[in-house]
Amino acid sequence: MNNIAFNVALPLLTAFLLPIISNNSKSAARFIGPFVLLAMLGFALAYFNMLEHPIAIALGGFRPPLGITFHLDNLSLLMACIIPLIMLLLWPYANKEGYREESLLLLLAGSASGLALSSDLFNIYVFYELLSVASFGLAAANRTGAAFAATFRYLVMSGLGTVLALTGIGLIYTQTGTLNLAHIGLLASQLNNPVGLSAFALIVVGIGVKAEIFPVNGWVPEVYSTASPRISALLAGLISKLAVLVIIRLLVVAYQVPEALNLLLVLGMLGIFWGELSAWRSRDLKRMLSFSSIGQLGMVLVAFSIPGEAGMFAGIAMMLHHLIVKPALFMLTEYWNGAIDKLKGAAKSSPLAAILFMIFALSLIGVPPLPGFWAKLLLVNGLVEASASLYITALVVLLTATVIEAHYLMRTAIHIYSKGKKKQRKKLHQTPFNLTIVSVFAVVLIVALVTLAPLGNKLNKIAAESSDRALYINTTFSTKQAPMRKQTSLDQQMSKVQ
Amino acid sequence: MTTDLIHWLLYGGAMGLIVIGIVGVVTLNNIFRIVLALVIAEAGANLLLVIAGYRFDAIAPILTGSSVNQLMVDPVPQAMVLTSIVIGVGIQALALALVLKVYQNYKTLDIREIHQRLSTDIDSNSGVISLLSSEQPAGERPLPEPSAQNETAQLNQGGDK
Repeated sequence: MNNIAFNVALPLLTAFLLPIISNNSKSAARFIGPFVLLAMLGFALAYFNMLEHPIAIALGGFRPPLGITFHLDNLSLLMACIIPLIMLLLWPYANKEGYREESLLLLLAGSASGLALSSDLFNIYVFYELLSVASFGLAAANRTGAAFAATFRYLVMSGLGTVLALTGIGLIYTQTGTLNLAHIGLLASQLNNPVGLSAFALIVVGIGVKAEIFPVNGWVPEVYSTASPRISALLAGLISKLAVLVIIRLLVVAYQVPEALNLLLVLGMLGIFWGELSAWRSRDLKRMLSFSSIGQLGMVLVAFSIPGEAGMFAGIAMMLHHLIVKPALFMLTEYWNGAIDKLKGAAKSSPLAAILFMIFALSLIGVPPLPGFWAKLLLVNGLVEASASLYITALVVLLTATVIEAHYLMRTAIHIYSKGKKKQRKKLHQTPFNLTIVSVFAVVLIVALVTLAPLGNKLNKIAAESSDRALYINTTFSTKQAPMRKQTSLDQQMSKVQ
Repeated sequence: MTTDLIHWLLYGGAMGLIVIGIVGVVTLNNIFRIVLALVIAEAGANLLLVIAGYRFDAIAPILTGSSVNQLMVDPVPQAMVLTSIVIGVGIQALALALVLKVYQNYKTLDIREIHQRLSTDIDSNSGVISLLSSEQPAGERPLPEPSAQNETAQLNQGGDK
């Protein structure tokens, strides 16, 4: 029954065994990674299919609030499915010798699954740290001086973020005396004071390092333009979303107060502003895409700051859209890595790549009928309905940002489609393997477009479920697991509170 | 009264360590010192966690089997701090390894110089003229031809020095 725990345990175990396996048999080491990812996908899909209402799994048999629980609802299982899927797409199949990168990727997969599923603040902290360590290793995997320097700056910023997040967790513990998210939610009224709110701010800024939130995203352009495109795609697409997921879980369960929402809104607006303007100013594709991803993450944050179900719906839609589009665009920079001016003639040398770029760029801007348009429409509707003055300001920022976005992406498209010198064109040729990966992302985007109505319904259901605070709390405290210990006074106290 | 005072003193000390660490990371220029500042900040956060569960009138949270019902210190923060110390050591080791690698590649420990080298490296990898130079206007301009571009880049570098 506790199969889902394998989603964390299996990749972690394999990650540490991989060097030994590789010593004995190189070919086994090559196949075991994808195999483990497929197994993870299988476990997650099995739960996803049979899930009717959210369940909580108490690990080790101790019941919450003392035991540590995994919270399985549609949102967390969706992320648990997406993690191995994206990893399989971005797996270094061509890498024949090394096991280092594979090992780190499996570490990333395991900790990312843990982050998506866990509902215990300290567990989240530990998985977040594991995720950080794996991503440092991957960011420095190119072994150039620039990659090391960029990773060092990333590490310092991330380390500082960790300290802030840990302080925030400590403050929450002083106020509520618990680390279980559902239990914190039960005691949320004790957090509605300066100490509780500053704890939230600290955690947002701390975890926000990975989520590319405004004041702590200086590492983004440096790391993404020195790491290999696959790693940038992974960090920008997947890891940032998981960090956002942690923040919104905390927001939904414990901090449905205007102060917390406004904090996210303001940080999101600043992120959009800074990201899009810097993207407009930058003159090479990689940095343009990394700044644009800061802007997009800002939009996601703005969406989640809208109270209630509408905001959750818009946020999840924006999040998933960015999760598909940005990795694909980063994969294109594998061969289109120069200045934008040097992309001239790219359409001649690989026409399919140019078409794919256009699809993703248009969807990112939000041109109907592509999925990006519907995601942005949901966000705009939500902002209009929220109708406080700050939300209207966010609307203005969002629409202005869209215009800027359109300008820099279309500027790039014009360069891609203009004539270039023959000599330069040869360098811009995309390999079939790379094109296949990007095409898979494009197919997902187009399937999403075709099945827009059922997809929208499904997402709406997910949003309703994950914005329901009472459901989250009740799920955790009604775990069926038999207690392995006697009832304590704490349990009785809990049942009284309920 | 005195225990209250000591309690607040400890809280203040933990917060102070965190602040010292953050200020250090932001203002220091030597990357080795930045790592040390990070260590101090982590120590502050750990101390805060320990104090969060500490009581002056309680004993260590070890079940000895005796039936004496005495108050115990909250064990959860202590377990957390143990974990976070271990994680912290790992991160610090990784940071020092990176410091070594950065020094081997750039031959400097000054974060400003490293940042500048990093920016010029990224710029030259992608074939963009460095934006660090003050003479270089921001925004879109028609870029000169590649040959002229190299000369300008050299000129810019010369100007910076």
